[in-house]
Amino acid sequence: MNLAQVFFFLCAAGTLVGAIAAVASKNPIRGALGLMVMIMGIAALYLGLGAQFLAAIQLIVYAGAVVVLFLFVIMLLGPDATSATDMRGLAPRVLAGVLFAVTGGAAISLTIAVSKHHMIPRVGPDFGGVDAFGRELFSTGIVPFELSSALLMVSVIGAIAIARGKHGGLPGELKSADEIRASLAAQATSSEEHG
Amino acid sequence: MTTSQIMIAVIVPALVKILVMIGFVFNVGALLTWLDRRQGAMIQDRVGPNRAVFKLGKFELRAAGLLHTAADGLKFFFKEDFMPPKADKLLFSLAPMVVMIPVLAILAVIPFGDTVCPQSLWHVTKDGHMIFPAVTRLGVCGADPANNIFPIPMQIATLNVGILYVFALAGQGIVGAALAGYSSDNKFSLMGALRAASQMVSYEVVLGMSLIGAFMLYGTLRIDEMVRWQGENAWGVFVQPLTFFVFFAAAVAESKRIPFDLPEAESELVSGYFTEYSGMKFGMFYFAEYMEVATSSMLLVTIFLGGWNLPFLHRDGLTISFGTTTLVHQLLPHIWVTIFQVLTFFGKVLFLCWFQCFVRWSLPRFRYDQLMKLCWKVLLPISLANIFLTGIIFMAIDNAGADVAAGLKIAADVTQALVALTITYFVLRGIIGFIRPSKHTPWVVGSSANQAELAGGSKESPMQA
Repeated sequence: MNLAQVFFFLCAAGTLVGAIAAVASKNPIRGALGLMVMIMGIAALYLGLGAQFLAAIQLIVYAGAVVVLFLFVIMLLGPDATSATDMRGLAPRVLAGVLFAVTGGAAISLTIAVSKHHMIPRVGPDFGGVDAFGRELFSTGIVPFELSSALLMVSVIGAIAIARGKHGGLPGELKSADEIRASLAAQATSSEEHG
Repeated sequence: MTTSQIMIAVIVPALVKILVMIGFVFNVGALLTWLDRRQGAMIQDRVGPNRAVFKLGKFELRAAGLLHTAADGLKFFFKEDFMPPKADKLLFSLAPMVVMIPVLAILAVIPFGDTVCPQSLWHVTKDGHMIFPAVTRLGVCGADPANNIFPIPMQIATLNVGILYVFALAGQGIVGAALAGYSSDNKFSLMGALRAASQMVSYEVVLGMSLIGAFMLYGTLRIDEMVRWQGENAWGVFVQPLTFFVFFAAAVAESKRIPFDLPEAESELVSGYFTEYSGMKFGMFYFAEYMEVATSSMLLVTIFLGGWNLPFLHRDGLTISFGTTTLVHQLLPHIWVTIFQVLTFFGKVLFLCWFQCFVRWSLPRFRYDQLMKLCWKVLLPISLANIFLTGIIFMAIDNAGADVAAGLKIAADVTQALVALTITYFVLRGIIGFIRPSKHTPWVVGSSANQAELAGGSKESPMQA
């Protein structure tokens, strides 16, 4: 076993341990932490394959944003955030698990079967760097890239629309002292006019 | 050379670099715990830390309170390591480690000097004389294992993704605070952790967005290349002044220090997410904060203050030139230039650490809505506008022709001259102040004493008022 293989097996073991902890732990925050370990393991695997940019983005987006969002929501919910222990919804959960296992297994075995007949071409020396990735993204991949940007934009606008509610203005937004003073003055003048 | 010798030629410098960086940050972190308190005392007209004393017979050593650093460290180790009975034991112990790791890992991509060519450090001639040759200004010596040439980059890991690695790690800092707050089983801790998480998530966006303008100019994500660009042109603080201030504010917010210390606001939340920690676990949170000051100073120095560059000092030696007219050109030995550049880098970092402590004692804390407004309604629009403006100006300059380019080159050299003059002035002021200190007034008469006099007490003993 050479060094690259040792590295691969270490990262793969870490990823698996994280994934099992994510689904098996009762405590939600430990589950989120398991997810984070898994994401870091995958980032390390990318790094072992020479895809530095992908590893960095994996950490920034998934560990830095998604898991932190999970943690944030779990903290906001507090003790309510425990997973369901009753038997309700057991059948769909088991079904989802089986479906995932079958499709995942099929994908893995298909990849192995195909790679026996087709050699995957070797990558160039600048593979996985920022330059190569950017060139690819803005030349051959420009249409899907722009489409996914539009999708993200729509979801951002949707989130703002939901947060603002019907009446405009964020819920619980503090008024500045000047605004309060102005509204008080307006009330005072109107009451004077009536009185 | 055999394989093992090559391994040694690669591994030994790497180990030395790691030792230099870790040693620097640990020592500066310890020094900052003292500097922060001492400087606060001077700003607020107090005496400051002075109780720790080393006694041997009649000999007493106080070292201006520096011994407090050692005393605090010892105290941390011998205090009871208390854990709240209902705390989540695993997460409670894990949190301080999770806080420490990203702070230390960022050091891996900070360059503290230009690439060293070991072959050019010195030659020994046949008759036993040692000569110190100079190297060329541009063109880093390439690796050539066949001829035993291994250039040593003064950076632990030269990553292609460079600054993205820093962002990837900066995002992990939140997790430690969140874990500490959640596992402590204390409402103040939880509120502190919530504040920390929302604050750091918000300011991380600004941190990333503000730097895009700088990337566009430097044309690279590699941190060492950024420093080289600044050495050949102008420092980042002159070409991207807006970015510098926005990034500085966001970096202070990320390290959760005053004026952004909402997560550990002692007048509201005891001490925020690490309220329940004691002993060395508390020490790790406390120490991580100061090390974060050091690492964020390093980032600011490398991206905006020219890194290891001094004005007019290049790889080959001293070259004072404005545009195409060269006034002075003096070759200097590679070894001297390298030592000088490394010292310059650490000097700049120390200066910025001092400046961050100065900011801490000068500004009041923000209110929570002000903090969020500043981030989303002020800093983020500024950084977005900065990207737009930089793009337009960059394109205009690119298409403007040779005259404008020559003019800009002169302007860049003028900024270098400005920096050189400013540094010289302050160094001279410092030396003069050290040799002939300004006269001490016999009484410390501050504003409180004046008030006491107004209230009927005497200026000399305000306690009577």
